[in-house]
Amino acid sequence: MFNAQKSSGYEGGKGSATTIIAHGVKVEGEFTSQSDVLIEGEVHGSFSTIGMLTVGSDAKIKADVKAGSAVVSGTIEGNVIVSKHLDIKSTAKIMGDVTTETVMIESGAVLSGRMTVGVKPTGATATVSVESPRGRVNGRERVPVLASET
Amino acid sequence: MNQAFAYIYDDFLSDRRFERELSILETELARRGIEGQVARLAMFRSARETIIDLACAGTKNIVFVGNDKTVEKMMWFLPDVDVTVGFIPLTQPAHIGTLFGIPMGLAAVDILAARLVEKIDVGKLDDRYFLTEVIVPATVASLEVEGQYRVSPAMGGAIAIRNLGSVAGKIPVPADAKDGWLEAIIQTRVNSDRWLAPSSLDETVIRLKHGSIISKEPIDVFMDGHTVNGFSFKLSIVPNKLKVITGKVVR
Repeated sequence: MFNAQKSSGYEGGKGSATTIIAHGVKVEGEFTSQSDVLIEGEVHGSFSTIGMLTVGSDAKIKADVKAGSAVVSGTIEGNVIVSKHLDIKSTAKIMGDVTTETVMIESGAVLSGRMTVGVKPTGATATVSVESPRGRVNGRERVPVLASET
Repeated sequence: MNQAFAYIYDDFLSDRRFERELSILETELARRGIEGQVARLAMFRSARETIIDLACAGTKNIVFVGNDKTVEKMMWFLPDVDVTVGFIPLTQPAHIGTLFGIPMGLAAVDILAARLVEKIDVGKLDDRYFLTEVIVPATVASLEVEGQYRVSPAMGGAIAIRNLGSVAGKIPVPADAKDGWLEAIIQTRVNSDRWLAPSSLDETVIRLKHGSIISKEPIDVFMDGHTVNGFSFKLSIVPNKLKVITGKVVR
């Protein structure tokens, strides 16, 4: 019986504690998680986790996103709210408003929307207007951590 | 004879080549004071009735002697019987023994004698219990999680819903059977960017307490050695449902 299963495409597995949405997988609806989440596939709807969110470079998210902290290398179309630290990598594209306590943006990242940085997302104290051109944020090539601009 | 113990021998153990091994095993069980009534599985004998009769007669520990398939034959009904389950794997496949920390052969008697009992979760597919995992091979089916969202392999893939772990491969893969969650694994084949490079296997991993497997076409679903066919299957977890004699703390 199990031979039949193996020849039909299932090959045991590795086992993991983190929630992973891999390449070639699409999630539709209201996704909520209590754990760290790695997204390499597609997410449509809404997304929320209290843990760490990692968005891979090929990931496509069309959803409002809430996370405890996040590292974004892929594409997000929707508003992003991060309770702690947001790390935006050079390959990232975010089309939507971003609210976070602290942020690091690498050169090459594309951001389109309002960025609010400082304290917790409910009471932000710094606002950075962000529009493309690619790789430039407020005319600077690289934006350092903006934790305490008030 | 210890009335608290009973032993269920799989029917393949009727073969003469197992006579000596069973004789040594029974001698060792008697030496430890945990020998008990022996029942043999057979084609036209109901395993369920045999076990229920033993439980009604006061047997507290029912020990399966055979291999993974022996345990799998019982799992669809066993969690509803008030007994503690033991396992003596004598032949391969013995992955379930490995996941319970039970060695093959005579060494398993040490585990039985120590009688470390743990309560573990069991999964449910519709009204049927499963111990290890549910597998939907090479499917375009979707997994609906707790009525909130749907996960679909875009180009097809295999779906596994694990409780105790995977016994489908050469090496058993453990899952946490004491956390009150099922672990869904969706395997998709991803082509490499490089020309002629082999495709790789990606795994989506999601935890759920209940959900459904949904397909537009009828699909075969494998669970603990049984096959069921249909369009839609409900999944759930029943925490702390099965008492098992284990050789280590089950994850």
